[in-house]
Amino acid sequence: MSERPLTDHPEFDDAPPPEAPRIHRFRREPLLPEAGAGGAPLTAVIAVISFLAVLSMASVLIINKSASEWTAELRSEITVQVKGVDAEEIAAGAAAAMRILNETEGVIEAMEMDRDDTAALLEPWLGKDNAAAFVNIPAIIEVKVTPGLRADLDLLRTRLAAAAPNASLDDHAAWHSRLSTAARSGQMFAFAVFLIILGAACAISIFAARAGLAANHEIVSVLHLVGATDEFIASEVQRRFFVLGLRGALAGLVVALAALGTAALSLKSGIGTDSFLPQFSIGGWMVLWLFAVPLATCLVTALTARLTVLKALQEQY
Amino acid sequence: MSANKAIVEFEEAGFAYSDEAETLSDINLRLHEGEFRFLTGPSGAGKTTLLKMIYLAHKPTRGHFRLFGEDTAGAPRDALPPLRRRIGVVFQEFRLLDHLTAFDNVALPMKVAGINQNQYREDVSELLNWVGLGHRMNAKPPTLSGGEQQRVALARALVSKPDLILADEPTGNVDPAMSERIMKLFIELNKLGAAVIVATHNLHLVQSLGKPVLRIADGRVSHSAGAGGAG
Repeated sequence: MSERPLTDHPEFDDAPPPEAPRIHRFRREPLLPEAGAGGAPLTAVIAVISFLAVLSMASVLIINKSASEWTAELRSEITVQVKGVDAEEIAAGAAAAMRILNETEGVIEAMEMDRDDTAALLEPWLGKDNAAAFVNIPAIIEVKVTPGLRADLDLLRTRLAAAAPNASLDDHAAWHSRLSTAARSGQMFAFAVFLIILGAACAISIFAARAGLAANHEIVSVLHLVGATDEFIASEVQRRFFVLGLRGALAGLVVALAALGTAALSLKSGIGTDSFLPQFSIGGWMVLWLFAVPLATCLVTALTARLTVLKALQEQY
Repeated sequence: MSANKAIVEFEEAGFAYSDEAETLSDINLRLHEGEFRFLTGPSGAGKTTLLKMIYLAHKPTRGHFRLFGEDTAGAPRDALPPLRRRIGVVFQEFRLLDHLTAFDNVALPMKVAGINQNQYREDVSELLNWVGLGHRMNAKPPTLSGGEQQRVALARALVSKPDLILADEPTGNVDPAMSERIMKLFIELNKLGAAVIVATHNLHLVQSLGKPVLRIADGRVSHSAGAGGAG
């Protein structure tokens, strides 16, 4: 057709006089109605999914942080145990071991535990106040070492064996290994839960996108007939789902952060700061990870909806 | 025979809904650039079905159909939207989107074509003013009368300056004066180069304008020259 303006031809001479200028609200109307694309129920479901996803990701991060702190502490310490038939032999062995330890490069600090403290450690097996009656309670020496010495303890073992034959060195390797395995298992479990939750977000998106498409059959048909491509329609749906998903995901994040904060405060007040357990705290880069979770949730939601719509359009139209 | 290119071509085409007998059979039809046809026939004869095949809502179940020279049966899926954008359709049931304003309904073909609003805002406003709805740009279809909805549908069909205009009973819900203006508009647009097919029951309109007529009866399409008037 001619490139002249549409109304620039004789027929339009008959047109009624132009209307008084009126203001049109030139805002971007979504081509798919909000309610048809899932609306509030979808936002609520995504909020719940996001809440659970943030909690599971927080579990991954907290387990990782705790395991790192535990293993770091274990890796910086070794324990020397000196046995003997009586207190004198044990004391002589402990003194020899202390001398070797203090001479060894890489030993930051060596400290022999008080006999009463050592006896207290045995109370669970020997009964309260019974341990003190034993004369051959081993001497325990806690040793803080540098990473360099920790990496190669063979020479120290040899020297200890020569100076104090009844001394044995425990590098906590077994503990460290078990703790690492437990932490890894915990992390994998929490991450698996996280993936399952994202899978649930995908499933919900597929369901909502298909339902939305069915509810908006007439609109989609008209869009096709005026020349819309499948990509265009899918982009409209994706945009809608991204907005709904973002709203829900942020709501879920806020509630999850509040829950985590409450839990952290409760634990802190309950177990104090000197506990064997590391502090349950979230900050710095952990928060960034947690903020990434709702973003991932709404991206998964939007992309799943897009792919679902593209597939459905190929099947149905 | 017109020297212009054929833009709609049916050869031995037929169409059947599911496994039923053919609604339309043995269609042999050519429409060239710049041609005007009325499409008449009794209710249920298949006028709307023929138009649906032309605007690619239905595929012929047999025979060949070419639109703007493209064999649509063999065309990949993504080749169809550009063809549809070259057609302006005034649907019998209007098919306006209820959640959009009159302005946004008219602008729909431009939006799906990815055209910036600044480029079509004036055309859309002007068209709506011309059809007498300049004061209802922000109104949504459920608040418009049948005649007003029909005028919005008309504006939507014309806004992209299509090469082919298909109108299914475009004057069914408007008063005689507006009917006359709409038909004069189609004729003017036809003079500007657009091919036009108008399906109508209004035989008085058909006779008064004297344009060639396609008649559908018993599932078959026949041609006849228009009576009277300029062709």
